[in-house]
Amino acid sequence: MKKAPKVNEVNEFLEIASDFEDPLEVIRESLSNSYDAEADSVDITIRSRPDGSDIIIEDNGHGMNERDLESFFDLGNSRKTDSIGYKGHGTKIFYKSDHIEVTTVHEGTSYRAVMSEPWEKLNNKTLPEYELTKNSVRKGNPGTKIKITNFRSGQGFDAEELTYNKIHHYLKWKTIAGSTSHYFGDQQQEMEITVDLDTEIDETREKLVTTNRFKFPEEQLEPDEGDYPAERMCKHYPAREIDIEYEGGTTTLQIVGMVGGKATRNELPTYGRHSAQFGIWLAKDHIKVERLNEAISHDNEFIHFFFVANCQDIELSANRETIRNKSSSVYQALKEEIGYYISKVTRDPWFKSYLQIRKEGKHRRRSASQQSSLADRRQRVESDGFSATNQTEVLLGLERAVNRNDSLSLSVEDFDPESDVHAIVRQDGRLRNTAVHTHLTGLFEEETPLENTELAVCWEYGDRAELREYERNGYFGGEVSLRLEQGEIQYENSESTFIDVIEVKPLMDSNPRKMANGQIVHSDMTD
Amino acid sequence: MSQARNKQSFSFNIHAQAGDARAGKLTVNETSLETPNLFPVLNFYAGGMERSVYGGGIHRTIKEFMIGADRVGVDPLTQYFDAAMMSVSSLTDYHLSRERYEDYLAVPIKERELFDPFSGLLFTDSGGFKFLNDAEFDGSDFEVEMDQETVYGIQEALGSDIIVNLDHPIAPNDTHSDRIRKAKQTAANIHKFLSVSRDFEGAKYLTLHGYNYSMMDEFLSAVTDEVPEGVLREGFDGIALGSLVPKKDDRGALIKAVTDCRELMDDWGMSDWPLHVLGISSRAIPLLIGLGADTFDSSTHLHNAINGKYSLSLMEQAPKDEVDFSKCDCPVCQSDLLVERMKGNAEYQKDILGPIAMHNLIIQKREVAEIRQRIYEDGTDALVEYFEETFSRDKTMRRFAHDVVNQSLGGYF
Repeated sequence: MKKAPKVNEVNEFLEIASDFEDPLEVIRESLSNSYDAEADSVDITIRSRPDGSDIIIEDNGHGMNERDLESFFDLGNSRKTDSIGYKGHGTKIFYKSDHIEVTTVHEGTSYRAVMSEPWEKLNNKTLPEYELTKNSVRKGNPGTKIKITNFRSGQGFDAEELTYNKIHHYLKWKTIAGSTSHYFGDQQQEMEITVDLDTEIDETREKLVTTNRFKFPEEQLEPDEGDYPAERMCKHYPAREIDIEYEGGTTTLQIVGMVGGKATRNELPTYGRHSAQFGIWLAKDHIKVERLNEAISHDNEFIHFFFVANCQDIELSANRETIRNKSSSVYQALKEEIGYYISKVTRDPWFKSYLQIRKEGKHRRRSASQQSSLADRRQRVESDGFSATNQTEVLLGLERAVNRNDSLSLSVEDFDPESDVHAIVRQDGRLRNTAVHTHLTGLFEEETPLENTELAVCWEYGDRAELREYERNGYFGGEVSLRLEQGEIQYENSESTFIDVIEVKPLMDSNPRKMANGQIVHSDMTD
Repeated sequence: MSQARNKQSFSFNIHAQAGDARAGKLTVNETSLETPNLFPVLNFYAGGMERSVYGGGIHRTIKEFMIGADRVGVDPLTQYFDAAMMSVSSLTDYHLSRERYEDYLAVPIKERELFDPFSGLLFTDSGGFKFLNDAEFDGSDFEVEMDQETVYGIQEALGSDIIVNLDHPIAPNDTHSDRIRKAKQTAANIHKFLSVSRDFEGAKYLTLHGYNYSMMDEFLSAVTDEVPEGVLREGFDGIALGSLVPKKDDRGALIKAVTDCRELMDDWGMSDWPLHVLGISSRAIPLLIGLGADTFDSSTHLHNAINGKYSLSLMEQAPKDEVDFSKCDCPVCQSDLLVERMKGNAEYQKDILGPIAMHNLIIQKREVAEIRQRIYEDGTDALVEYFEETFSRDKTMRRFAHDVVNQSLGGYF
């Protein structure tokens, strides 16, 4: 006995309607439908409602017939074979609403389909039905109007989150409104797209009007003056069609793009971080799907690139967010070819000069910042005199103190700041292993073993209370005794280690003094 | 220093250019060579006697192909030997006796009946690369001290068409003073070379050393301290860019050196001289041609064969045991006898690897001819297309190919 597997229709509808992660996909689907209906204008109106939104999508295309309307409401029964919506899943997101009304005029017949409470019914395990009426009308004025009442928008479609900027970005990055088909001389029908959000959602402008053509910002090959000379630079890489042979067939790569600085990229309707938007986009029907930034060798930041690589032989997942035939030989060959094409762009002398100009700008900014930091430092020197803020300066101070004081017999013979014991100092003819710190507390903070340290040179002792804490708590199981008056630390851990301490600042201060004009002079220079 | 040499024995004419790449004809002693072209390294004398084509293992087999010896069963493959590079230093590699040494030098190569089928240009290197890293160039086996005079004597006795002065190549780790010292040593040799080779009937190439313009310029300045610039220009016919062997797999360094060398030649008034690049890897050939090198020598065909690699193209090799020889239409792969040998059915390694080396050389020579042909076509498109076909799948090489296309052939965009 043969048995057919069953499908729970209600659950399927529920599942599919819930599955679409981004409710903006409603717009993508509708725009593609309008384009397929050869509309030259589409109006999308979104009004905020307490539990969701009302969405009205109206176009002047050739309308839907009865069969098209069935596809609109049915699951997995699309009339398309290849383009967006061919799986017949997309429009089912409309089921998450209180009311769906489709009015369409097609070849002299007007159809009206109404579905009430689809979401509530599905949740009550009832398959919602729609009422279809049709009337003859005079030819002309075709078009379609879809009205969704109280669409359960969910995240991303919340009035709070939805803005013109976000929609504009979405239109240009994810829908047919961002099509690059026109760059390839295709006879692409131009479609004016108007989005109207009510003022509760976004009052920054009245409407958003755009077309179904993606346009790169204007080319500017030369740098600007100023601190960021490359930020408005831009080069277009004209459309190229490349035939690709792969195991089992041939396909065509259509690639077009630009390279540009941050200001150039900002002329596009970006939304959020550029790193999520730029790079190499794989596309089908010239609508961007997924990025292939690995096509850019790792030493080139993908963020400067915006290329759309279209191929009709990539296959898309149901929600159109990913490519599902990545293990196929056509995809592999496509990837190779894109990698090769992009390798030419990255070696383009203009691109190299663009990177160089960016670097030069950075260099200039560094020079400016150097100037201001040097001015600060010089001012500090003039007002405060010499003060050691790092190990090297501590040793410089030590040498300077020695030069000013004949009774000191000290010289730095070796200095390796990366070592545990930083320096070898000759003191009264003997070589001594020396730790060098701006503050004596550093001797303990670095947690280095002290057994081989004979001398600690510091600019100042630092926080005495902190030092006493080491005396109180010990250091790595040993006892610390501070005898700073005698210039000595004793560290007792199985055996005793005596570390002589030299505090450099008082050695310098004891001789020089500050004149009224702020100049530091050595005492014996004036005596 | 007067130069009594007959300039008629040499000419170099450029007939076509595609970007910086150039094609022309180099004529020495009435023997002409289409350029750009490859001089395969070949040891004409390698310890053996006449009956063993003067020996040399794989070199011997290659010579057998050249002369069409019965042992290889093919007609002389003369067309692939329109040029050959022999190094004087190869003589020191075979522990020759004094007697054998003198016997080798007794008759010029092209005058020996055995080598009669060979009528190509013979370039004889000075063997200076033996001095690399300050090693020795030792002729004690045959009781000869290898200095400039001796080296020239050998070059002349071999019947060379193109010769270079004895040089002291630089090494990547050389300090500035090392390089200056070597430049001075080379300069002294150049002085001597011009003096002893006054009556040489053939072309003389000046060796040039350096990895960039400044190094080469410094080298030429050191040379012109020793030899007046006018004498240098009068005494030499071409440039042989050396010291690149340690960098032969560093494509970026190679591109830099050749580009800078051409610029230097322009600045020193030598732009119409032929440029030979010494000791390169065959995979670099298209890049070098693209940058304007006219000739180059390589032993890659031999080294690949020794490593069991059979060339599928200039860029691709396959392990010899995995090759379908019937896919190649070269005379070596079309011979059942030689295919059997390449499959390993021969007593001696030279008979297995020699035909592979010959096949590899044929692939290289054919490819060079193809590139040359493309230079003759209008514009740069044909050559750029060659680069596209050759490098598009080679991820390590292609960025260098792009650099050459951008720099010398007008770019892609």
